[in-house]
Amino acid sequence: MSDVRRLYAAALAAVGVALAPGVAAAQISLHGRAEIGRLEHRIRLAGLLEPSSGTLLGGALGVVVGERFEAWGEAMGGHLVADSPAGEDRDVAEVQLLGGMHVRPWVTLQSGVSVRTYSTPLARQRWTTLRLGAEGRLPLAIGGLQGIVRAQWMPVVSVSGVARPDVALTTGAGLEWRGKRVSLSAVYTLERYDFPASDPSLRRLEEVSALRVRATIVRRATGRI
Amino acid sequence: MTRAVLLALLLAAPYAAAAQGTTGELLDRAAQHHAALDVEREITILRQIVSPNSPFIVTHEQRVLAYKYLGAALVVRGQADSGILYFRAAIERDPLVDLEPQTFTPRERQAFAQARRLTFALGGRAVAVDTIDPRTERLSFTVLSTHTAALRVELRSAGTPSGLPLYAGDNDGPRELQWDGLLADGRLAPPGRYELFVAGQSQLNQRADSVRLYFSVAHEHAPLEDTLPALRPDELLAEQHPAGRERQELLRGFGLAAGVLLMPRVLANGELHGGGRRLAGGIAGAASLAGLAGFVYRRRHREIPGNIAANAQNRAARAAANAAILERNRARLAETRVVVAPAAGVGP
Repeated sequence: MSDVRRLYAAALAAVGVALAPGVAAAQISLHGRAEIGRLEHRIRLAGLLEPSSGTLLGGALGVVVGERFEAWGEAMGGHLVADSPAGEDRDVAEVQLLGGMHVRPWVTLQSGVSVRTYSTPLARQRWTTLRLGAEGRLPLAIGGLQGIVRAQWMPVVSVSGVARPDVALTTGAGLEWRGKRVSLSAVYTLERYDFPASDPSLRRLEEVSALRVRATIVRRATGRI
Repeated sequence: MTRAVLLALLLAAPYAAAAQGTTGELLDRAAQHHAALDVEREITILRQIVSPNSPFIVTHEQRVLAYKYLGAALVVRGQADSGILYFRAAIERDPLVDLEPQTFTPRERQAFAQARRLTFALGGRAVAVDTIDPRTERLSFTVLSTHTAALRVELRSAGTPSGLPLYAGDNDGPRELQWDGLLADGRLAPPGRYELFVAGQSQLNQRADSVRLYFSVAHEHAPLEDTLPALRPDELLAEQHPAGRERQELLRGFGLAAGVLLMPRVLANGELHGGGRRLAGGIAGAASLAGLAGFVYRRRHREIPGNIAANAQNRAARAAANAAILERNRARLAETRVVVAPAAGVGP
């Protein structure tokens, strides 16, 4: 089975877990999210560092089942401008499916699949990743305000034209304010990819850091599934 | 010596019992002679019974009966005045005594009525054990004056000077009174000792008399439920944050800020010289501000609204449960039955 097929299987499994029959009688709520972010992409290839940055816009739809399960579908995209003469501008687009299970009120296990493409006038590179991780929430004194810390490991990363990375992980931290119908969050994330190479000096390294500001609207559904 | 006395008492006991039985037999024989109009033999037997020298034990009731028959026998023999004297003796001992029409002749009853006119006494029938539902049933008392009199009947809690008037007015002979189990204030008579106080003054000879009948009142109802006790402190959630909580808020904010700042330095690949430190700095600043704001907020607001609401909900639930219990108890008390039994006096 190829990596891509395994990823799709994992995605289906994640959605299946999130909407398990055991929660059939639970109340569901629908979430809509708009997102804007500043993204910095740095890649070192053959000893050359190519930084680029830009603004991302995106949106997401989520389903929260009861107080335990949630599933999100997210899409975002933007234009990255090269910050060095050696680099070139590129467009980035990403879709992501993410499932979550709240094992404690303050801990959520997460699993998901994301597909990201970097496009230049000459080429397009597709990244497909499987993510496994957890998110912790720390309530703060002011009503509805929480601190967020998350870490994800990417056991499966498929990059077109490039070998699989040795190290692939992402971390993040931020703040979220939750109201009754609206929540606002600002989260810093860092993705790190270290690719194997026979010559360490020529090793391919990539890093994506971002600050994302999100606004989410909750629509509580009265029906049950 | 003591053993000898005990032995003597034991030996004498059967004779005493037999003697009491003998008085009853004598009365039966006297009644038979009375029915057969053999008044001489009847009088002989009855005089033997009422004599102070009688070898037999004579109970109060037997003595009253003996006087009654003796009076009737003397009336039959033509000694009406003597018969009336014995009738009066019987009436003084038991005002409820009467001559049954099927047993005694009109002449005897006429003499007995004369005796009642000459003797003033009040009486009451002993209260029998009874249970009534005060909503639908009544308790009956029978009181009596031997002849016409101004009568007053009160029901009192034993030992108190006044009570619930049951009757006040003229009376001649027996009178049945009914009581619904309530006192003057409309409440059910509480459990305890009570007395039926009967007082009167003759309207023929102005003599006064009174009598008391004691009885006890008890309540009978389905068992009552206990109300739930008030919530103990250990059953309530803390309604205020403990002291020092504001420092914890400060540490949380600063800890989160430190974590964000460390991420690009620790987790990013140093060879890329990046990690979005400026971006992380923005979040760290926000987290620090949140910590400071939390510190100030917590110093000013120590209350825990969720716990306060939960405690209030618990208290309300308990109050509602107790109200329901009280309502059920009230319903059970409303169906209380009054149990009445004769008593010896105001107290044991």
